[in-house]
Formats: sequence, C-alpha cells, structure tokens
Amino acid sequence: MRRLILLLAGITLILGYAFAGELEYFQVYKPKDGMSADEIMQIEYYVKYTKFAHDVYLTGKAYFVDKSGATREKETLRQRITLGRKSDDIAYKDLIMFTSPQVRGLGTLTWTYMNPKRQQDSWLWVPSLKRIRKISAANADDSFMGSDFTNEDILTRRFEDETYTLVKEENFKGYTCEFDKKTYFKNTPCFVIEAKPKKSPWYYSKRTLWVDKKTGGGIYEEMYDPTGRMFKTLFKEYVIYPVSGKDYAVQAMLEGKDPRTGHRTVILNMDIKFDQGLSEDLFTERALMQSRW
Amino acid sequence: MMKKCALVLVLSLLAGLAYAEDKLSLSGYVKNETSLREESLNSDLTKFKNIVELSSQYKIKDDDLVFFAKAKYWYDAAYDWSDKMDIGQHYNGHIQRTDWLRDCYLDYTNGPWFLRLGKQQIAWGQADGVTILDRVNPVDLTEFWLPDMVDIRIPLWMANINYSPKLNSNLQLLFVPDWDQSEAAYLGGPFVFRSFKEWDIFQKGQEKAGRVFDLTLRTPPKQLHNATWGLQWSDRMGDLDYTLNFLYGPYYNARNDIYFSNTTLTYTIPRAFKVWRIYGGSFNKTFTNPGPMQGITLRGDAAYYNDEPTYVGDPVANSTKGIKRWDNKFWLIGVDKNVLTSWTVSFQFAQYILEHSSSKDMSRAPQQRYPMNAFTYGPADPIENIFSLKLSSHFLNDRLKPEVLWSFTDDNQGRLSPKVNYELKDNLLLSVGIHYFYGNEWDTNGQFRDQNQFYTQLKYTF
Repeated sequence: MRRLILLLAGITLILGYAFAGELEYFQVYKPKDGMSADEIMQIEYYVKYTKFAHDVYLTGKAYFVDKSGATREKETLRQRITLGRKSDDIAYKDLIMFTSPQVRGLGTLTWTYMNPKRQQDSWLWVPSLKRIRKISAANADDSFMGSDFTNEDILTRRFEDETYTLVKEENFKGYTCEFDKKTYFKNTPCFVIEAKPKKSPWYYSKRTLWVDKKTGGGIYEEMYDPTGRMFKTLFKEYVIYPVSGKDYAVQAMLEGKDPRTGHRTVILNMDIKFDQGLSEDLFTERALMQSRW
Repeated sequence: MMKKCALVLVLSLLAGLAYAEDKLSLSGYVKNETSLREESLNSDLTKFKNIVELSSQYKIKDDDLVFFAKAKYWYDAAYDWSDKMDIGQHYNGHIQRTDWLRDCYLDYTNGPWFLRLGKQQIAWGQADGVTILDRVNPVDLTEFWLPDMVDIRIPLWMANINYSPKLNSNLQLLFVPDWDQSEAAYLGGPFVFRSFKEWDIFQKGQEKAGRVFDLTLRTPPKQLHNATWGLQWSDRMGDLDYTLNFLYGPYYNARNDIYFSNTTLTYTIPRAFKVWRIYGGSFNKTFTNPGPMQGITLRGDAAYYNDEPTYVGDPVANSTKGIKRWDNKFWLIGVDKNVLTSWTVSFQFAQYILEHSSSKDMSRAPQQRYPMNAFTYGPADPIENIFSLKLSSHFLNDRLKPEVLWSFTDDNQGRLSPKVNYELKDNLLLSVGIHYFYGNEWDTNGQFRDQNQFYTQLKYTF
C-alpha cells in the first residue's frame, strides 16, 4: 500500500511538473529576472508561435540573396488559427498561399499538434495538378521554402527538443541587418541561453540564443555544427502590437545568413492583423480546394 | 471606330480602377517548349511550341463572389518546319476548338455553401499520373501523358455545388450539361497512338480493295439526360481523410463497333460514346505519431467501373473486333516519404482488373473475347500491374530541382523521365529533361520507343 501511495505521489509529481511546463494559451507571458533557462525558453517558444493570439493574418515577402548579390523574391499570404484544443490534440493550423507569379496559387495547409513528439499533418494545393496532395512532413533539417532557415527553425522545433543552460545576462551588442543596414536591439537587456539538441547526431550541436527580456522573443542566435564551427546566424526583429489592451510580440523581420555559402534570406512580415475572428472553416481541405490559380 | 476606341478606353479605365482597389488580379506566363527526337544519331525537332496564358480574377464582393477566367493560346511551329509532321499541322499545330478558354467561372461562398459555376476542371482522387477517379473531364492526349494534368484535362461547363455540414467534411454535387470528347494526336505528331496508325493503314488498304466504310460518330446530344452527374463525399475519420465518389455520364472516348457486310462489301462502324458509371473512393493518411511509420504518407484510390466500353479482339492478329461493356476495377496505393534531408520518395502500385468475359459471352469467337489495348490495339493484360517511382529533391536554396519519374508495368515496358528545373531569375524558369520509352510496340509506353526525346522548357511568369 505504501509503495502504491509512493508510486501515485511520484506520478502526481511528474504530471505536476509536466503540466507546470505547459503555458496556457491566449495569455501574454514575459520573462523575469531569476527565471530558469527552461522557463525562459518556454516563453520564447510561446512567443515564437504566437500562442497568445487567437488568430494571425499577415502578408510575407522573402528575399533570397546569393553571395553575388543576385536576389530572388517570393510573396506569401499567411493565416494561423490557434486552438490549443486537447480533444483532438490540435495546437494551431496554418494556411500559407504563395502570391508571387512563379508560384502563384501554391498553397499549404498545416496542422500542428500539441503532443511535441507528433509530426504535422500537411496538405498542398498544386496548381499544375489542380488538386490537393497530402504530403509527408518535411524533414526538420531541410530548408524552409529554400531559405537559410530550416523547417524546424521556423515551424517544428519544440521546447522539448533541446536542453537549456542560462549562460549569462547581458545587453545585446546590436545586430546590423544587411537588408536595410539598420542596427537593431543595441544595448537591449537579454538572457543568453545555450540550447543543445536532444537528437544526436544532428545537423547542429548547439545554438546560442539572445532572448529579449522585454518580450521573450529570441532576437538573435548563432548555430554551431557538430565540429563546433558556427555555420549560421539568425536574426528576428520582434515588434509589439497592442491588441485589446495586451501587448503581442511578433516577428516583423527575419534574416538568416550562412557564412559557408554567403547566401542569406530575409523574410518580412507585413500587414499583420491579430484576432480578426478567423473561422476554422478556412483551415480545411475544402478551403484549399477553392484556390483558383 | 470612335465608339470602339471609347469602349476600350472605358474598359481600360474600369480595369485600372478595379486593379487599384485590389479587386482585379492578373497573372500569366509565356513559355517555349522545344523537343528533339533522339533516334540513333539523327535528331529531329518534334516540338517548338510557344504558349501564352493569361489569368484574371475579379472580386465582385470580397472573397464571397469572385469571377475567374483563364485563356491560353499556343502554336507549334515544328509542324510547319518538318515535312514528316506537316500532315498533322491542322490538328496538332495549334490549340483546338474552344480549348483556349481554360477557366471561366463564378465562385460564390456563403457559410457552409460554396458554388463554382462555369467552365472548369475537377480532380478527384489521390493518384499521381494515373486517372482512376480523375475522370470527370475528358483528356487531351496529343502529347501522351507527358504534360501537367492541368493541361491534359479538357475543361467543361458545369455546376460544382459544395455543402459542408460539419468541419472538415464536404458534399460535392457536379452537374455537367456540357460534353466534349477526349483528344488524341493526329497523324504526323510524335505521339500518335498505334491504334490510330493501324486503323489508318487498314482503312486505306480496304478502300483500295474496293471496300466501303460507313463511319458514323454518334456524339451524345446536349440534352439533360445525357448530362454527367458526379457526387463526392469527403470527410476525416481520426487521422484518415477519405472520399466516396460516384460518377455517371457518357464515356469521353468514342469506341468503334465493327460490322462487315459481305453482300455490300461495307464496313459499318458506329462510333459511340457509351454511358458508364464509376463507384469509388479514395483515402490518405500521414502517420504523425512516433513509431516506425512516422513520416510516411499512404494514399489510395479504388474504383469500380460499371459498363466501361472496353475493346476486345484477336490478340494474335493484334486487331480489335469491337467493344464490350465490362465491369472493370482499378485501384492504387501510394507511399510517400521524405528522406535524407531534402529528398522525397514516392512509390505507387496500381492494378487495372478487366472483367474476363470468356465464360459469359459464348456468341463471340474465342479470339474476340480478349481485352485489347485501346491505345495500340495490341493485347491487354486482363490484370495490368502498374508501378511508378518518383524521386525529387532541391538544391541551391530551391533554385535547382531535379526529379526522376519511372513508370512501368510488369510487361517490361515503361517510361523513364529525368528532369531538372532551374530558376534562372525570379520569373524565369528553365526545365531540361529526357523522356525515354521502352517496351513492346503493342504496349502503351512501348509504342513510343522510337520517340525518345530530349526537351527544354523556358517559362516567363508575370
């Protein structure tokens, strides 16, 4: 009996820890001094995936710049509905439609689940077939839309995928963006976190991340390959959108650079609108099927 | 003249205003497709096709009421330049009939209702490159199955009515009062079906011998009872997406029945478009949960073709003796997985199971009971096993995209098509590839074993 009570107490503790680890949806969280690396990173992921908002609508532009300076451009229209629904395990659903001429009409519908070990469900509208094609989740280490970000950088990396150490707290030295030559976040107070992937071997051995104390957004990171050499830097400009009395932090610009190839990618998020009351019916195969291009 | 100028001016002003208000969107492309036939050491130009396509969308009332139209025109100069191909210039050298209007419809959305009324194409099913449920529209096979499906399907005027009774489900009703027949390449083109060539030789030979051909093409009159009807129910059960499908209407390929009179030395050949039905369904499922299957997508189609007009004939003489309306079955299963960072592997297996009539129709001679290949008039397998394997990847930040498609059957015939897409500039895409056909001359792919080709495509989008 005593063993059973101990076992139950143990399970309760484990569950309690697990539940404490999950931040409730539709709240605004900010990191505070004295928080552990895990707590800071939970907020960082929460902010990254806009779990505070019921829905997001934005237009995006991506610039792909090779080392010679030649630039290619793609435009997207993105919508997300956050559900955090335990009954069917759905965290949020994303709809991305490409609007630039060469890929106009191409669209993806992605459902992300709350279970961190579960992969996404994805559907693709293929204009050359004029039909929806169910697709397997892209590999986490594959590039996101041909950018210098990987799929997991943008879409799939979860809090549970890494272990974290708080290295120090410091004022960020600032990042000079090659796209607009402006310097961002100079002297911004940050937590410096070292994140190591649980998966091994993996395409990176660690990343060092600067988390803005004000918003909880990861504004800059350096990624290191398995030999310990830095192979990529990622910058994210977070801006504050006041919505219904709450401050939503959202990524307005991302810049990823690969020093090995000299290639860089800039993603601009524009016309951002939160909590417009988007219907979940927009995030279905039928909605994707209504594509015209 | 003044009136015309004023009209153009007013229309331009209206279009300009609509464009400024984001109501009107325009898009399109200009493309060149060039192919060289590779036979031994002699290369022939078999295609020099220039295409222009323009799409426009006008939002009458936000996203609730939208008009969309797409027009396309192409001209293949290879038919002018080549003496061998000259005979096909009229039929194969430029866009035919009303095919120039690819889309022209009105979309209306209101709550659970979605209506698309007008000229359009419908794609049912999950199969890639194999049309099992994808039979709502007729097909243009003047370039065999090589172009994209969006260019192969021939659009029809129809009412496409959708109702979603609950989240992730949809009931689709299709009413297609329009009708068109599937197209095939005319003599002179590189992808003329062997059946067409054999028939031409046969007819000319018989006519020389004094025989007469009474050939009548019986197209279905455009009446309500000849309309095509379709019904599709789509839903999601757990992680599984599925559809149930039904299609009723005239078959889009004319089928010949042949009667010969010894007294009048006349071949009477009614070419009819028989009514048939499809009962079927499709599914797809991605294994998202951890486990050995995680990351794999399974998909499939199954169809029961009721009264499908099927050629029967003499497999020894390779000649068709007419048609039988058989109940055939067609099913496919496909598996997709992303591997090694950026590679996608896609494998499909399909079976086309023809009704075996030998025990049912004893009125015909034994050699007339065998199924024949409609593309070649060669013998067809009562059960055709079809395979396809596709590997694709991307490099240089999605700029370079290679892929290889290998489709084949268990009769040692098939097609191997490697291809590379390279994005020269933002709006300029270059594609280079090869189509290599192999197999018996009576097989669907093997009939083109002398038509192996190297091709380039250059596409500018705007």
